[in-house]
Amino acid sequence: MEKVMTEKQSAKGWEPKIIAIVCNWCTYAGADLAGISRIQYPPNVRIVRVPCTGRINPFYILKALQEGADGVLVSGCHPGECHYITGNLTARRKFAALKRFLSYIGLEGDRTLFTWVSASEGDRFAQVVRGVTDAVRALGPAQKLVKRI
Amino acid sequence: MENVEKKLREEAKRLLSEKKVDVVVGYEAGTLPLTATPCFITTPEETERLVWNPFCVQNLGKFVHDLLNQHHEAQKRVKPEARRKKVVGVVTRGCTSRSLVIQLQEKQYEREEVVILGVPCGGYVDRKKLSALTGGEEIREGSLQDGRISARTWNGEHQAVLKELLADNCLTCRFNRPVLADIEMGEAATAAEAEREYEAVRAFENLPAEERWAYFEKEMAKCIRCCACRNVCPSCYCRICFAEQSQPQWIGIGSDPSDTQLFQLMRMYHMVGRCVDCGSCVAVCPMGVDLRKFLKKLDSDAFELFGHRAGVALEEPAPLGAYRENDREDFIFDPKSGA
Ligand code: SF4
Ligand code: SF4
Ligand code: FES
Repeated sequence: MEKVMTEKQSAKGWEPKIIAIVCNWCTYAGADLAGISRIQYPPNVRIVRVPCTGRINPFYILKALQEGADGVLVSGCHPGECHYITGNLTARRKFAALKRFLSYIGLEGDRTLFTWVSASEGDRFAQVVRGVTDAVRALGPAQKLVKRI
Repeated sequence: MENVEKKLREEAKRLLSEKKVDVVVGYEAGTLPLTATPCFITTPEETERLVWNPFCVQNLGKFVHDLLNQHHEAQKRVKPEARRKKVVGVVTRGCTSRSLVIQLQEKQYEREEVVILGVPCGGYVDRKKLSALTGGEEIREGSLQDGRISARTWNGEHQAVLKELLADNCLTCRFNRPVLADIEMGEAATAAEAEREYEAVRAFENLPAEERWAYFEKEMAKCIRCCACRNVCPSCYCRICFAEQSQPQWIGIGSDPSDTQLFQLMRMYHMVGRCVDCGSCVAVCPMGVDLRKFLKKLDSDAFELFGHRAGVALEEPAPLGAYRENDREDFIFDPKSGA
């Protein structure tokens, strides 16, 4: 597995690097389930686990882009299922505004993606990662907001 | 205006002599022609200094916040029985009143700690437009009469209609009349061309993404990160701003363009539903960065997404601190159909 991965990377030269900031209670467990069930998904995501999407400072997303991520995925519990009741509902507002603002300044919309994956949706997690990886791959390496020095 | 100014001085004098307020924050004539500058009046005699005219640029909400917060801080070092309230009177036009509403919503001080002297506002003169009128020459003398401004420089006299020199935000102002006031002076001002408020935003949205990015990059490249825009903003009052935080250090101290871009993106993002479009940041920016182009988008989105207008009603807190169960979800990524 490991070996196949590196070969694939060197063949194409560039592989999208995606930071997935996920909530501990749903998406992280969903990712775990995907793993336990041996569902294949692209190895392009690096997962950052947070207690709740409400905990995500939108700055994390910008910072990830600045430090060289080609895409950022944020995922948490479905609305109504947040462990802290309303964390994802306020997060939804924050991300809606952020995403619009970023596309306004000309950043590609698919660089920042938001979704919900519950603990029982191992399948969906794999699907999301596939979808996000494809979307970011189509955009190519990130050029905007990236720190050069 | 004369009447308003007269009434304003009277009211300020009365408030100070009846000890209803400790200080009145207002504007006085500036040291240069055709300018006014914020001032702090603490005795009834000084109230003659107060002016109210189209050269009053800054949003005074900033000072109200800072005065009261410094006072609260100082009171912590005083024995509980010796603590006292400080009351600030403030000359308040539409946008200033909205800033006060935001600060009240965010529990920065109590309603009793401010006395709002509402004044009608017809907009203020944009220094950059004025300077363009005189070709950048120093203004030696100036006057405003019957809606006409004349400015004399070393080389001659320049004239213009007041409206042509008003700041962009004033031209499309929706709330010229204070949304909250204890004493209201003069006749209530009516809204300017509010229907054109988002014209520039819509035009910008229609440009191709690459052009938008190029514009953003170009504007941000001008920024020298002096932080004047933040310091003057009445909605920016964190004790430790992310811009200066060192653990974690959000913004690198070097000269990489991305650090400046992130600084501005984040600062502006903090303004979702909190920007009252007073234009203070634009007026104070030494580099002429087009901040309004971006801030106005956030304002427009706050209304479009959350039905919120910044600081218009005390009962309606800023949108990012609230939610509705049926908030829009159209931006949520669906792996089946793509983004
Ligand atoms: S930029 Fe943000 S963190 Fe800094 S003072 Fe303003 S609101 Fe606070
Ligand atoms: S006032 Fe202008 S130059 Fe200074 S930090 Fe703000 S945008 Fe940059
Ligand atoms: S706990 Fe999962 S989003 Fe709040």
